[in-house]
Amino acid sequence: MNNRDLLDLCFRNLFRRRARTLLAVIGVVVGTCAIVVMMSIGYGLTANFQEQIESYGNLHLIQVSSNGNNGVANQDDLKGIINDKTLKTMSEIKGVDAVTPIISEYMTVAVGKKVTQTEFVGIDADVLEKFNYEVSEGRMLKATDKNGVLFGNNVPMWFYNPNKNDWSEEPEKVVGEKLVITADWEYGMKKKSSDSDKIQYPEFKGKGIGVLAAENDESAYRVYMNMADLEEIIAANKKARKDNSSSTNSRLGKTYDQAWVYVGEIADVEDVIKVLKEDMGYYTYSPTDWLNAMQDTANMIQAVLGGIGGISLFVAALGITNTMIMSIYERTKEIGVMKVIGANLKDIRKMFLIEAGLIGFGGGVIGLILSYLISFLMNTVLINVMGSFLSELGGYGSSVSIIPWYVALGALAFATFVGVAAGYGPARRAMNLSALESLRNE
Amino acid sequence: MKQETTAQGKPLIRVEHVRKVYRMGEEKVVALDDVSLSIYKGEIVCFLGTSGSGKSTFLNMVAGLEKPTRGEIYIGDIPIHKLDEERVTLFRQKNIGFIFQAYHLLPMLTALENVSLPLIFRGVDKKQREKTARAMMKAVGLEGYEKRKPSQMSGGQQQRVGIARALVGTPKIIFADEPTGNLDSNTTREVMQLIVDQVKSHGQTLILVTHDRTIADYADKVVTIQDGNIIKIQQNTSDVESTLNEN
Repeated sequence: MNNRDLLDLCFRNLFRRRARTLLAVIGVVVGTCAIVVMMSIGYGLTANFQEQIESYGNLHLIQVSSNGNNGVANQDDLKGIINDKTLKTMSEIKGVDAVTPIISEYMTVAVGKKVTQTEFVGIDADVLEKFNYEVSEGRMLKATDKNGVLFGNNVPMWFYNPNKNDWSEEPEKVVGEKLVITADWEYGMKKKSSDSDKIQYPEFKGKGIGVLAAENDESAYRVYMNMADLEEIIAANKKARKDNSSSTNSRLGKTYDQAWVYVGEIADVEDVIKVLKEDMGYYTYSPTDWLNAMQDTANMIQAVLGGIGGISLFVAALGITNTMIMSIYERTKEIGVMKVIGANLKDIRKMFLIEAGLIGFGGGVIGLILSYLISFLMNTVLINVMGSFLSELGGYGSSVSIIPWYVALGALAFATFVGVAAGYGPARRAMNLSALESLRNE
Repeated sequence: MKQETTAQGKPLIRVEHVRKVYRMGEEKVVALDDVSLSIYKGEIVCFLGTSGSGKSTFLNMVAGLEKPTRGEIYIGDIPIHKLDEERVTLFRQKNIGFIFQAYHLLPMLTALENVSLPLIFRGVDKKQREKTARAMMKAVGLEGYEKRKPSQMSGGQQQRVGIARALVGTPKIIFADEPTGNLDSNTTREVMQLIVDQVKSHGQTLILVTHDRTIADYADKVVTIQDGNIIKIQQNTSDVESTLNEN
């Protein structure tokens, strides 16, 4: 029997038992839909987590903090201390592309009459380049830019005139402009507080160099300067505060509270963190800390949801087997006749396998179409309802449900496989029916 | 046993000392005791017997649907009793046509498709098999009924479809088990005449099984079976009876 005739015969048999076929197909539709939609929610969650974490910061970046034991530790123990020696050790860890110590100071920056307060980060300009930041305006910071300021993407939007109440959303033009940098938070106000103890902070002249491109990064909320320049400003501020503490130690040399470590491959981040924490004794912070925890949650949720879907498809498989067994009882005589007039045994088995497979495939196709529809509805109409439900699971974002193409294809293949597998027993049974016995069934 | 027939040379079907015993729980039922018989090419042989005489069992065994308990069955040189189910099915597909009492047409197929079925099983392509099937339907007088489903046809028409289906693959041997059992006497006459004409014009061998003596008149040779044994073989051609010694 050629395959086209076989397929034709199968279709007719299925259409002859329309109601029963339809019920079996609906079973598969529900099963496929359950698996695909459930998994799509899992994928949606994962994607949302990633989106969310990327908003927390650069996934390549590890922020390292010293353990604060600068004076206490014994002579040779550099554990948990950030100085030039340990910074070099950090840069030699496998996977690390760049390391820079970080100093920071919260200060006011002014352009003309407008001001804003932000965190100034002192950084090694040569290393900054390796961190793969891109500018949307101006250029990157160079080591030669005396008091040059590189703005995070969001900072120019924060400028305001302290004497008026005009909060414009328009970003202030900063590139190429003259800036004033001071720790005085009242800078530019006409009416100053009349506190007599008020510290008289010095004012520094600076220049806008560029604006970073990354929008949803922790870099967007800071401004950057050369380390040496910021050190000078901090020293002057300390003097104004009459603060005599020193970050320079005779034994350890110059120490820092923080350093940034840039890892080229996100996959290496976890290993680098392990070395920094366990071998070198630092505190670290990286958005990947969250990513792993969230990924675990997402995987678990996906497994549970997929499992629920799997159960429905299993029930559908029982439906197919039942349909096929009923069909054999009903068609016993026909199968006998076919055998007597010379149908190959293998053709009879194939016929039942194909019929069961068609139920699985058909159910899979309809199930997929329905899944895409449900997914679409969840992402449009239901996003508010679903979103609030999902945010309780820890996710938020632009889409609730995502169906990757390989899940769609996999689900279709799986539904067909389930159909064929469910039909295997009945098909064997049909093949082994005695032609004679079945003819007696009159 | 005398062999005075129109056929010559080697027999087409050779049945030697075939015995069939059914086990019904503790009891043994002997369906065929010890049957030996030869059938030649082009013969129309009628097996006559009452219900339970063993005539249907005999036919089933020659068609390879059942295995004998003892004895041998050859069609040509092929030992039917030794073939496994797969081979015997293939053998039937190529060499044997079947006509059933209850027609046994497939209800989801049209008349034309039912007639084509043996050719479909052989893997003949659609264009060619439909041409053959149409010609066959015309030969059995069912021109214009090609698109009808079995449920839309009378018993006589359905049996004509059954006959067309049995003959369409030009098999060497045609088995007919009570082919007119469900038909009235007028239709019986028409259908029997049709079968005999078709078989004779193609030089095929027909094996009829019936309890109806009037059907036996269409045969060249009438074999009477009773209690699992052949009790009489009768040549119809010259109205001369050759009776076996009843042992």
